[in-house]
Parts: sequence; C-alpha cells; structure tokens
Amino acid sequence: MSAAAGLALLFGVMAVGAWLAAALDRAALALAAGRRPAAAMLVAPWRQGAIHLLRQRIRTERPDAMNGLLAPACYLLLAAAGMSVVPFAPGLVVADLDAGIVLWGACEALTVVVVFLHGWSANAPLPLIGGYRYVAIGLPAMLLSMFVLIAAALPAQSLSVSAIVESQASVWNAVRQPPGLVLFLMLGLSLTLRGPFDYADAADLAGGTSAEASGPAQAAWQVARLAMLVSVSAMTAAVFLGGYHGPWLPGPAWMLLKMIVVLAVLAAATHMFARLPPARMLTLLWTLLLPLSFLVLALVGAEVLLWS
Amino acid sequence: MAVTGASWLAASAPAPVYPAVGADGLAAVEALSLHPAVSLQASPRHASLLLVCGRIREADRPALRRLHDQLPHPRATLWWRTEPVPGFPAASCVGDDRADAVRAVWRRLATGALGSEADLLPDEPPAPWRGKGDHGQGGEGMTGGKPYGRPMAMTDEDCRDGLALDAYTARLGPFLPILPPGLRLELTIQGDAIQSARVPSPPYPQAGSDDPLRCIARLLPLLGLAGLAERFRRAAQGRAPDLGAPDLGALGRALRRSGALYAIPPGLGGFAGEDLRARLRRWWAQAEGADLRAPPGEGCLADLLPGLEWSEAMLVANSFEPEILMRLCRAGPGDGDGS
Amino acid sequence: MADIAGIAIAGIAALAIGLALQGFGSGFGFGAATSEPQKVPFLGGGDPVSHAWQRYHARYYPMTLLFIAFEMEMMFMYPWAVVFLEEGMKAMVEMGMFLAILSVGILYGWREGVFRWQ
Repeated sequence: MSAAAGLALLFGVMAVGAWLAAALDRAALALAAGRRPAAAMLVAPWRQGAIHLLRQRIRTERPDAMNGLLAPACYLLLAAAGMSVVPFAPGLVVADLDAGIVLWGACEALTVVVVFLHGWSANAPLPLIGGYRYVAIGLPAMLLSMFVLIAAALPAQSLSVSAIVESQASVWNAVRQPPGLVLFLMLGLSLTLRGPFDYADAADLAGGTSAEASGPAQAAWQVARLAMLVSVSAMTAAVFLGGYHGPWLPGPAWMLLKMIVVLAVLAAATHMFARLPPARMLTLLWTLLLPLSFLVLALVGAEVLLWS
Repeated sequence: MAVTGASWLAASAPAPVYPAVGADGLAAVEALSLHPAVSLQASPRHASLLLVCGRIREADRPALRRLHDQLPHPRATLWWRTEPVPGFPAASCVGDDRADAVRAVWRRLATGALGSEADLLPDEPPAPWRGKGDHGQGGEGMTGGKPYGRPMAMTDEDCRDGLALDAYTARLGPFLPILPPGLRLELTIQGDAIQSARVPSPPYPQAGSDDPLRCIARLLPLLGLAGLAERFRRAAQGRAPDLGAPDLGALGRALRRSGALYAIPPGLGGFAGEDLRARLRRWWAQAEGADLRAPPGEGCLADLLPGLEWSEAMLVANSFEPEILMRLCRAGPGDGDGS
Repeated sequence: MADIAGIAIAGIAALAIGLALQGFGSGFGFGAATSEPQKVPFLGGGDPVSHAWQRYHARYYPMTLLFIAFEMEMMFMYPWAVVFLEEGMKAMVEMGMFLAILSVGILYGWREGVFRWQ
C-alpha cells in the first residue's frame, strides 16, 4: 500500500519538480543577467517543450541509433530509481532498502555511462568530445559524493536512507557536517550537467552531447536532466536537511519545502560560478575537494565516537 | 487539437534563432540577444530560424547552404543588412533590424502559416559506399576504405604524450557561434587536445565592436556565465547613447564573485607579453576608464592553439579584440585558401 | 522483495516515459525522415573530413587507474560505516590508515602529473 502511494508520489513530485526546476532555472538566469524574474517563467518550460515536440527529429549520419534512443530514457530511469529509496514520511517510500545509499551510488555511476552514450551515439565531433570529457570529471565527483554519504551514514549506523533521516531527528547533518552538504551539491551539479560542473553539454562545445539532438530527442534529454535534478534535491533534503523532520507541518510538506530550497540553490549556483577548464577542475577535485571529504569523514567519525 | 494547442504554445515562445554573422553584423546580433522575444541558439539543431546578418563572403556561401540544411523542419531564413544569397528560397523574409520582425516570422512559422523551407543541397550520401573488404567497409584491413561513405580517422603522433592514436581533423566555421564570426579553423585534434591548427580564412571585419565590455561578454559564455555576459552586453549597450559613466561597481563585483579570473589558467594564451587573465584585467580597466591599449605584437592565431586542450583553445580564440584577431589571422602560415 | 519490485516498477515506468517522449513527436508536425544534407554533423558550416568515432585519445587515462583504487575502497567502506560505532576507535584508526595510504597515492599521482591533460 505504502509502496503504491510512494510510487504515485514519486512520479508526481518528479513531474511537478521538473517543471518547477525549469522555471527556477530561468529565474536564476534572469537574476544573473540583472533582469527581474517574471511570472511568465512558469509557462516558459511548456512553451519550450511545445517547440521541441513540434520540431523534426534529426538523425545524424550513421548514428548509434539504439544508444541514442536509450540514453535519455535510461537517464530518466536512473533519476527515478535513485529517488525511489528516499522516504517522504515514515514508511512512505517506494523501496525502504537496507542499502539505500548503495543503490543511489550505483545510479550516480551509471549516469556517467548514460551521459557518455548520449555523446557517443551521434557520431559527431562536438558531442563526442563532450561525452569523453564528462567521464573525466564525473568519476572523481562520484567519489566525493560516496565519501560524504558514508559520513552521513555513520551516525545512523545504517546505509538505509530512512535510518539516516531518523538519525537527524535532533540535529540535521547539514549542521553536523556542513562541508558534506556543499560537496554533495557539487555532485548534484555534475550529475545534472549544470553550471560549473557542466562538462558534457557546455557552451564551449555549442551544446556538447546535445548539440546534435533536436525535437523530441532533445525534449527527452532535457526532461531527464530536470528529473535527475529533482532526484538530487530529494536525496539532499533527506540526507542532509533532516528529510521529513520539522515542527508544525506534516512530514511530506517539510520534505517538499526542503527540496524546493535545494532546487533554488542549485539553480543559483548554475548561473553564478565560472566553469574551470577540465584539467584544472580535475586537479581541484583530487587535490582539494577529495581530501576535504576525507576530513569530513574523520571529523564526523570522531564526533560520533565522542557523542555516544 | 493537441497540435493546435502545442503550436499556439510554441508560437508564444521566444523565437529560436541561429545567427550566421557576416561583415559588420555582430553588433546587431548582440543587440538582438538582449531582446526577450528572441533566444539565440548555439546549434542549428535547436533553432528554427536562420538569421544571416551582414554581408557574407562568396567563399562562405557553400557553408551557409550546409548550415541551412542542418536546421530541423519547420525552418525559415531571415536576411539582415545583406541581400539573400542566390540559391536560397525566394526571400520571403528580408527583415529590417527589429526583433519584432523576427518574432512575426516565427509566429507564422510555428502556427503553420509559413511553410518550411526545403533543402538546398541534393539529397544524396557524401560518398558511395561500396561494401567491399573484410568487414564490408569498402577498403583494405580493419580501418581502410570508406565505411558508410566516409573515411575513418587514422593514427598520428601526439604532441603531448607521444601515443599514436587517431588524429581527427575538424573544419570549424565560418559560422560556429563559439568562434568569432567568419573565422574558419582547421584543427587536427587527438582526443580534445589540439595538435595543429590552420586558419583558412580570417574573421569578418566588425566595425566598432572593440568595446572592452563587449569583449568580456564574448568570453564569459565559454565559462558557463551566459547570464553575466548578458549583463555586460546590456551595460555596453546602455553607455553608448548617453556617454555617462555606467555603474560598473555591481558588474565588477559579480565578475569577481563568479571566479572567472581564477577559472582561466595562468599563462594561457600569452601574446605580446599579456596572457588571457591579463587581457581580461585590461579590458576591465579600460571599461572603468583607464587609458590603456592592447600591447603591440605580431603573431599568428594558428601558432597559439597547438598543444592546448579544447576549452582552453576556445577561450584563446575568443580573447582578442576583433581588430587584433584580424591581424593575427592575416599573417603567418595559417593564411591559406579561403576568401 | 516488495522493495525490489517497487524499484523495478519505478525504473520501467521511467524508461517507458523516456522512450514514449521521443516517439511522441513523430506523430506531430514534421515526423519526416532526415535527408542526407540534414544528417551531416554540425561544425558551424564546415564539412566533416571523416567519421567522428575514432580511437579517442582520452587524456585522463592515468587518473582512471587512481580512480579504480578509490572505487574498490568504497566496497570496504559500506560495511565499515554500519559497524563503525560498535567497533569504535579501532574502526576509526583502521580506516584512517587505509585512507592515509590511498592519499599517498593521490600525492604520487599528482607528482606524476596524472591530473593534467596528458
């Protein structure tokens, strides 16, 4: 019963969240450009979607058609599968896995594959470069997230997302390990190909992996990116912001509010910070951010041992 | 029914335009990018209108035809500040320089009142595929011949680590929006590192486009800062008529906060004793009113690019005032065929 | 079992939506087949010399070896996180040693320049 309710909630939240995320992204771009966000930005994603669906789908010369078709669909699959372990209220979850964050980690890893295949499938140079380049940054970014997720699992003594949420009844992980939250948000940008971590669909490749995608194929890819963004925001809210815990309001309402805050932060970060050339980012990830995640783990470990 | 609803929705969206910029057309396109009724696209696959703005060299006409055919249906062409190139469909939309005109064409196209333009090039594969050889590729061995009408990239020495993997030759431009308009680059790349570069034709002259704020605005999108770039373009636009000192304080703070200076590797794109970071700093100082000039120097763009990684190379190619870039493309071994 | 079924249903439904979305448009407006000049890869007007698929020179290949070391380490960290509190200081010191050894690997790789685009 709760699984069925969870499924309905999952897809409902994903659909509404993707729409909201697209609108927030436009608002953030407007703010970065010094314009005032307008109410029309709520309609803009639908207008864009209509353009995509009315447009012809172009097949490039000798493409890998199967992977081209599967890449956006599998991206969406990974977003849904990753979000299915996130509880919206006690017991209101699609799958209360004992190893929830392991499943999430698997979804992160496969996202790298899916984005690569999207770049690969067109048999065109700009998408191909985007696909290969993304792998270089996607891999270490994934390591970051696993370290901070394990640090979040330490106080809960469990790999289940529900248990991690329960362990935050008194103190949120965002308070206990703030650098972990920041590192996880960076991973969110990387998983959804956004802003400073957009090495796949970047402007210096005229759109990168989606430079050759037109019409419905482009619509599916953008929807999948937004769905993954919603999935990331749900995971962030659950693991770092106390999930459904909060006074006065019912649990799911808190969860949704926190997700919206995370979406807004990610949208703002997308348009605020410059993207480093990939070699520079690779060095930064391995020599600064990864050791920082070790440090988070050590500090949380020490704190948990002293606390109990 | 659903189609009608969708086309009504689409028609109310900003017009998706792919700009092909010719001589002295850059300023008009940059002004157009600030208009809310238009959204400029980086790839023709995401656009419905091909906007040709400024006079096009005769040598670039085949490229324009190729580009036209790469737009998905429904599509239309607009001509600004130039006569339609012969061979294109009857010039139904020679617009004046107004975003409203673009929008009107887009509305008619989206609702079906304006028919989609047909291909200009013949519908035939680039080369006949003969289907011979061990793997049906039409040649000898594993990688010879022309599989499906095109050859494969072949191995070559690498300038960074000496591994002999495939060298891919990309003929970029003249209408690639990540390069200055008109610039053709023939890059041989291994992976995403540039092995050698050639400049078959220089960029188009752009009179009065050397405003430092505009120069910064052309660099920022490559760093993922499209919003900030728009702010710079608007500031440049705004200070032309009244000549009063614009409020650059907030703009400077946003630029520093974005980390753009940190993102650019030190020492990248050194030319005339000034690397890319220094150029960006100089542009900013010029915008604030400092009486600085680009240091004099002779060189060749084709010599600046080899050895760089792709995104670094694109940054370097966009880091010169149009006038200086013209000079960099004229001299040296890069000056081959083309215009 | 119900958990696995839930994830499978969510995944399959998402996959179906993703595929349907791409098939959706073909009934609309221009579902037309792509002509040969439309298929040519986009290079801003330039014509491609060869196929894009190639023995691609991935510049970060030494980094991927370092990555494998860390990815393997994750396998040990998952169970470690669960028993961390029971084992106490011992678990802390053990993982600290393990991470310290791996960090030497990062330093060595850094010195060898594996994070540069080789």
